[in-house]
Amino acid sequence: MKHHAIPRIVTKLIIPLILLFGLYVQFHGEYSAGGGFQAGVIFAAGFILYAVIFSLDVAKSILNINMTKSLMALGLLLYITVGFVGILSGGNFLDYNLLSNTKTNGQMLGIFLVELGVGLTVSNVMILIFYAFNDIGKS
Amino acid sequence: MLTRDLFSAIMATTVFSLICALIFLLLDGIDVSLTEAAVGAGISTILFLSTLKHTNVEIKASRKSSIPLVVLFLLTLSLLIYAISDLPDFGKSIVTTNSEVTRHYINESKNEMGIPNMVTSILAGYRGFDTLGEVVVIFIAGISVLGILREKKENK
Repeated sequence: MKHHAIPRIVTKLIIPLILLFGLYVQFHGEYSAGGGFQAGVIFAAGFILYAVIFSLDVAKSILNINMTKSLMALGLLLYITVGFVGILSGGNFLDYNLLSNTKTNGQMLGIFLVELGVGLTVSNVMILIFYAFNDIGKS
Repeated sequence: MLTRDLFSAIMATTVFSLICALIFLLLDGIDVSLTEAAVGAGISTILFLSTLKHTNVEIKASRKSSIPLVVLFLLTLSLLIYAISDLPDFGKSIVTTNSEVTRHYINESKNEMGIPNMVTSILAGYRGFDTLGEVVVIFIAGISVLGILREKKENK
């Protein structure tokens, strides 16, 4: 795709918007539509578009396979940690009430962290599967 | 699929996903619509295409008649249309099967969670354990794809 000017320029223009929209869906999910899963796939779709247009090697120099592996595990770990913090502070598993000074603050913080974990895992699994499919023929 | 060409079949799937996303949007399911547009029309198309790049498949024209398939299709379609009459009315919030919990979510979720988006508070709050399971499934899917494809590489 290196020599196609139109896709390259259009992609350069819209990729910041796609990534920004992904972040908006992630961090504004409590107030408008969306949440961790949607944000993860939108972010991953933007990144995959970048990798398709500007070669896989450039994309891998930004986010290599080992980093996606660690980040996808980190997302799940964040989710489970929030669950266990609930137990340690005297409640049930995934009990957000005790995370902060008031119940609603605790719920908001818990939901925010959990959604962040979902987003991290989903986006990195998508990017990892894309990488894996494209590495089949090599070696 | 009427087409014998894999590339046009993939494009047809993509267009179908986009139309589905629009239908979900019209039904006010914005979350589902976003997912369908990003996964169904975006990522899975790219995965299909990158698989197509590595394969060299030609589908021969089949000599079997397609009449049994058409009969099966019509039978399933008529069964589904018959089943529609049992569905609750569109947009009805209180359905007999889950009336208590639905009413609780609609009336109390804002006070209990402190966030206005009911979908988020159900997914991450009330049903947090389900969502944890979902994330684990996605994580396992990622690991499995990596495992299967790497194994193939070593066999070569």
